[in-house]
Amino acid sequence: MSCDEFKPLITGYLDDELPPEERALLEDHLADCEACARELAQLTKLKEELSMMEFKEPTDAELARYWRSVYNRLERGLGWVLFSVGAIIVLCYGGFKLIEEMIKDPGIAVLLKVGVVALVFGTVVLFVSLLRERLAVRKVDKYSKEVER
Amino acid sequence: MILRSQAGQKEAFGIIVKRYAGAAAGSASLLLGSYEDALDASQEAFVRAWRHIKRFDTRFPFFPWYATILRNVCVSHLRRRARRRTVVLSDGHAQASAESNPVLLAERNERRDRVWQAILALSSKHREIIVMSHFQGMSYKEIAAALGIPMGTVMSRLHSARQALRNELTDEEP
Repeated sequence: MSCDEFKPLITGYLDDELPPEERALLEDHLADCEACARELAQLTKLKEELSMMEFKEPTDAELARYWRSVYNRLERGLGWVLFSVGAIIVLCYGGFKLIEEMIKDPGIAVLLKVGVVALVFGTVVLFVSLLRERLAVRKVDKYSKEVER
Repeated sequence: MILRSQAGQKEAFGIIVKRYAGAAAGSASLLLGSYEDALDASQEAFVRAWRHIKRFDTRFPFFPWYATILRNVCVSHLRRRARRRTVVLSDGHAQASAESNPVLLAERNERRDRVWQAILALSSKHREIIVMSHFQGMSYKEIAAALGIPMGTVMSRLHSARQALRNELTDEEP
């Protein structure tokens, strides 16, 4: 194995994530290779530096404000779901009734009726198409996966 | 607390939120480069965690699970930013460095401030894996699952990220 192949193993070694056989292989190489031993020393120093960087603990007042904001969002989430369901039902029912009356009304031009029906169907087709695309993207989107252990 | 949260007790979830808020906002700040966005993203991630809390396996620690959700929320933030064209995603660190400062560190000194800025100057891929490994304490297995990449790729990507960070710090040294 060349040094370039050993180098990523240095990171695994540093994090104690190497299987025993790779660990032994790397240790043998480190005993003979000054460049890789230097790389290990530099990365060890960097890891130590990073481990000393800790996030500041927020004050009680900051935490209370933070939680209040999360809590408000939790409540608003339910409100939005109910609002959306209600709005969809009302809009669909109202729209259906409006179109039904319009079609039955002999005073309205046929061309206008055709236009309104085309508009409604077009909107439905666009909505379904967008929904299908979003679902397909969601299926293959690695960012949407949850952590597996 | 997790079991009580799974039973629908918001007060119990509040205790979990308060326990991890600092780490959540801190790591989001490194991922997004802006404290305001980090607060928003970390809170949004807690809301999503609450919605899916019943699916959480209590045999495992909470934070890596939450960190995966947080990472997804941050990616969405970055995508929205890219769409708005206020920041170019692959080069967002340039702006991030300018608008963020390491106010979130427990103990600050000149060197740690420099390391913070150097992390923000990394590419988003490198920054993300440094945050997951060093600031969120995720194992290679957890990182692999969160990013959808093999364990070997986690190791090589983390190695490149550390090399890039070391080079960034070397370049900055007088």
